[in-house]
Amino acid sequence: MTLLHRLRSIVLWIARRNSAERDLNDELQAFVDMTAADKVRAGATPAEARRLAVLELGGLEQIKEQVRSGRHGGWLDVAGRDVSYGLRQVRRNPAFFGVAIATLALGIGGLTAMYSTFDAVLIRPLPYTEADRLVMIWDALAKTDITSKGNSTPAEWIEWRRLNTVFTDLAATQPGDATLSGDGDPEQVPSRKVTWTFWSVLGTPPTLGRVFTEDEDLKRVRVVVISYGLWQRRYGGAPDIIGRKISLNDEAYEVIGVMPRSFYFMPSREIDLWMPASFPEWMRANFTWHDAQIVARLKPGITLQQARQAMTSLSLQVTAKDFRGPHSVIVTPLREEIAGKTQTALILLLSASVALLLIACVNLTNILLSRGAARRREVAVRLALGAGRGRLVRQFLTESLVLAALGTLTGLALAVPAMRFLERLVPEAMSAGRVTLDWRVLAFSTAVAIAAAVTFGLAPALRGSRVAPQEGLGGGRGTAGARSHAFQHSLIVVETALAVVLLVCGGLLLQTFRHLRNTDLGFKSERLLTFETPLFRYQDFDRRIAFVNAEIENVRAIPGVVSAGAINVIPFTNTATATFYLLEGQPKNGFVGQVALIRNVSRDYFATIGAQLREGRFFTASDRKSSLRVAIVNELFANRHFAGRSALGQRFKFGQLDDDGHWFTIVGVLKSIPESGVLEETKPAVYRVRDQCEQIDDLSAGIVVRTAVEPASIVPAVRQAIWSLDRNQPLARIQTMEALVDRQLSTPSQSTTLLGAFAFLALLLASLGIYGVLSYAVTQRTNEIGVRMALGATAGRILVSVGRRGLELTLCGLAIGLVLAVIASRLMTALLYGFRPDYAATVAVVSVVLVGIAAAACFVPARRASRIDPVLALRHE
Amino acid sequence: MEKLDIPQGTLDLMILTILVREPMHGYGVSQRLAALSRGEFQVNPGSLFPSLYRLEQDGKLNAEWRPTENNRRAKYYRLTAAGKRQLEQHRERWSRATFAVTCVLEGA
Repeated sequence: MTLLHRLRSIVLWIARRNSAERDLNDELQAFVDMTAADKVRAGATPAEARRLAVLELGGLEQIKEQVRSGRHGGWLDVAGRDVSYGLRQVRRNPAFFGVAIATLALGIGGLTAMYSTFDAVLIRPLPYTEADRLVMIWDALAKTDITSKGNSTPAEWIEWRRLNTVFTDLAATQPGDATLSGDGDPEQVPSRKVTWTFWSVLGTPPTLGRVFTEDEDLKRVRVVVISYGLWQRRYGGAPDIIGRKISLNDEAYEVIGVMPRSFYFMPSREIDLWMPASFPEWMRANFTWHDAQIVARLKPGITLQQARQAMTSLSLQVTAKDFRGPHSVIVTPLREEIAGKTQTALILLLSASVALLLIACVNLTNILLSRGAARRREVAVRLALGAGRGRLVRQFLTESLVLAALGTLTGLALAVPAMRFLERLVPEAMSAGRVTLDWRVLAFSTAVAIAAAVTFGLAPALRGSRVAPQEGLGGGRGTAGARSHAFQHSLIVVETALAVVLLVCGGLLLQTFRHLRNTDLGFKSERLLTFETPLFRYQDFDRRIAFVNAEIENVRAIPGVVSAGAINVIPFTNTATATFYLLEGQPKNGFVGQVALIRNVSRDYFATIGAQLREGRFFTASDRKSSLRVAIVNELFANRHFAGRSALGQRFKFGQLDDDGHWFTIVGVLKSIPESGVLEETKPAVYRVRDQCEQIDDLSAGIVVRTAVEPASIVPAVRQAIWSLDRNQPLARIQTMEALVDRQLSTPSQSTTLLGAFAFLALLLASLGIYGVLSYAVTQRTNEIGVRMALGATAGRILVSVGRRGLELTLCGLAIGLVLAVIASRLMTALLYGFRPDYAATVAVVSVVLVGIAAAACFVPARRASRIDPVLALRHE
Repeated sequence: MEKLDIPQGTLDLMILTILVREPMHGYGVSQRLAALSRGEFQVNPGSLFPSLYRLEQDGKLNAEWRPTENNRRAKYYRLTAAGKRQLEQHRERWSRATFAVTCVLEGA
């Protein structure tokens, strides 16, 4: 028989199932009638004949069952029957199944939501050709204070490209935010300058037009490739955008290509423009110009390890003559670079959601075991009527699947809104809005649901079907054996242990988050508005100073503004701008490893942000271009070099360290401000007044405004104030200081909230589990307790004996959980941002909370047991 | 005397053989089987009906409800063309198998 034929006959049978069932019934009846008729003919009385005929037939239902399962597709039919039986059970016990489905929905919903985020960030392919062959290369400036992983130099890119043997090609990208004007409001657009190799290394073709060539890059042709987002937002998706001239930094660039919507690249998904790097001649040989990020594609067959070795020796060779000494490089997979710390957070949260689901499964196993014991009579009847044990196991498992399916559907309904929340976990370097419930996630949830159903359904199914008919039918009082108790008890220990792990990890994260939240910023962050005004339109140094001073004047005149100041890099927005320095009296080579952040500020900047002086003075009107060069350093800098004595009056050079460099005299010491962000270690920092810097240092002016009113409310007035000076001047990154602080804390805050939620649910489910098992035990032991009370046991003794069991299990779970938590907390070090949370306190709080809640969960059933009336209990017999 | 077990796989062959002569209902098939085997085989309804239903589903048998000679309603099974082909194939294989078994038994 062909497969098609077989399928057709299955379908036909199912379609005609009801009439086929009637047929079968009638046919068997006819069989009995004819047998009886023959017996009457042979001389039996009609009643006797009928009895013999039924006996001869054997079990009517058994034959039906054999016929049903004997035909093709019979299993489908049987499964359908089991499913509808399962659904009927659900309808009949809404409270019981409501709890079960809610438990499962939490477990599966949580895991689905976490998995979809995990999938979006760590599994789904990146929008480049063979993205797993892409790596990033960083300078390993291990000897410096600032960072061990630094940007590379264009000069290194040129040398690496020439000499390396492990990459098909390398590309360099540099910061290059540009002002777009002329065709609408001026706008500061996040942009990158990229070498022509960028396009071939990533291998993503433009969706429209073309990308630029080597020739265009080297000959400084003004062409630009724009993002899909910018094309849609600013140009309404105009098809004739290709070939259009747009004004970037007041120069005409020709748009030659539009990248696909899915395209993005480091360092941020917000990049809207890519223009040729066209390195100037002086940059091509300068090994100290660290502003390039390098991405490279591994040659086929070359491993990451091989590339690391080759690049390390190449870098040492290339920088052998560097006056700072040779340095190595760090090679990392692109995926790791893009995911950043989110990777650890996601792995932790995914594990937590798996643990939560396991707890949910454990609870369901316990519930079903208890229920199985209550169904012994039903099972005994069915066994007696001829149901096979395999058949019963299958039916119980089908019921579990029905439960899992309902739980999953509810869980998915919970997961979808949760995903909107989880989207904020997607790192900044990745494209936004990618967390969705697609077929991959659905397939995952289905697999999880089936696995869960087997996990929580198998033990109850095997145990529940193992009933001796006469026992199940006889007593009606059935006591579960000691083994079943031991099994349920070990499940309680498991779920308590898992809950403890989650609680401890959650506690550690919470402490870390509170620590980060309470980091002393060194200034007053409330009611501060910040924005940037790029100064490329004012090439002349004096005009720049004048323009920024005018900006500050105009902004200060706005009603509600208290004061305003300028700084080249607004706190928390950039980690790079740093420089080597040399203290007076240090040997010429003593500067190696001495790096400080460098910030240029207006005189009123410190007063505006509310910075605090430790020693000396702020900048004053007397600090002019022509007067003595002065600097303010942070406390960290002062303590490093002048511990125990005053830093005031000390001199140092930075930037240009040779004899032509200028000496700066320290006039003030500032309470440290974590300029690079609260998640980073605070670094030594040097501040100088704008008037005394070199022109190149001031490419963009960050303006900080202290207001008496809600800072966001003055934004339109600020725009007008700047535009009244220059209508083509863009304002970039307008945001409040508090938003800047919050944004840094977004990943820790998300992971803390989520892990906290998981831990809370785990605790809830675990205590429900303890409660459930004890209550069930009390119900089963009603007789025994009645007998004990009749024999003189006091209510107190009963209370203790029941409650003690629950507490023993809790303590056992607690002990195991604490051991596991030590291991788990090692894996999450990256999420502690160098903070050392108080482990002992966390353990103490978790233990007290857990034991307290478990005690409450034990007390309720224990109390019920102690109030059993022996007379009623024994009559129950 | 103790009844014999129906040898594995031969029930379908015997059902088809009985039905090739004339359409018959389930009870008739079981009676005819007992009579033809001189009472040695007694088919159990728990084996007979699953076989009948499977043969019907496979298209070897057709069934229709008809009145019996005693004016009861019964489900009569009739061989289809496919059923006849299967019967011929099985018969032939059965003769070869029994001949082979006999040879082995007598040759030993």
